[in-house]
Amino acid sequence: MAEKSDEEFRRLSLESRILEQRAEAIQSRINMVSAVIADLNYSSVTLEGLEKERENAELLIPIGGESYAKARLVTPDKVIVGIGAGVSVEKRLQEAKEIMKKRLEDLERTRAALQQQFVQVVDMINKNRESVERLISETREGKAQQNV
Amino acid sequence: MSEDISQLPPQVQERLLRFQQLQQSLQSIMAQKQQVELELTQIEQALAELQKLGEEAVIYKTTGSLMIKSEKGKVTAELNERKELLGTRATVIGKQEERVRTQLKEIQSKLQQDLSPVSQPQP
Repeated sequence: MAEKSDEEFRRLSLESRILEQRAEAIQSRINMVSAVIADLNYSSVTLEGLEKERENAELLIPIGGESYAKARLVTPDKVIVGIGAGVSVEKRLQEAKEIMKKRLEDLERTRAALQQQFVQVVDMINKNRESVERLISETREGKAQQNV
Repeated sequence: MSEDISQLPPQVQERLLRFQQLQQSLQSIMAQKQQVELELTQIEQALAELQKLGEEAVIYKTTGSLMIKSEKGKVTAELNERKELLGTRATVIGKQEERVRTQLKEIQSKLQQDLSPVSQPQP
């Protein structure tokens, strides 16, 4: 009986470790996706701002260290959008806004799916924890009865 | 744990060490595979986007911290070339993975044979 409990305890501990690693991995992916969402939101705000500007509007380009270089807006209705693999394409501002919106929607969906997975894994971890606690209390009760 | 291992016969210890080394190799191969697959996916997505564009589209290619103006045909050709190269790399990595997995399986079954008398209950 004790051997069986030991084996069960080992199995549950191992399962918990694997589940915890999985939860950490999911959390790390959620953080990554959230960072990209924040970046896309930032770019959407920038595009909204650019939309209101006219040709030759004076801009400040960030050059790091909270410093800026002065520039002028040459084509207010066109921006360059990255399409992956180090390639960027010139798009009309409206089109760029739609691309950002679509990317944001896709990422929001991905984040929701990941959050759902995370909740499921945490639920499994909690169930495992309850089983371990039950096993410990059963083992204690068994030992106490043997001592009587 | 290390004390437990030191009580095993030297041949088994050596086999265990080899097993661990192979596991590490497999991890490294899998990381490389993931990297190549990720780059391939990005290239395929970029190629699909490029296909939607007209020949006159304004395209920039990132080189280090610079973005250099280029042409659709040129960028498409470059991406296809890179895709082909990565495809070959993926095949090589796949073969490496298969070889290491086979070796791991063999060594695992030998280790199970080595260790089974120890774990059997005493009569």
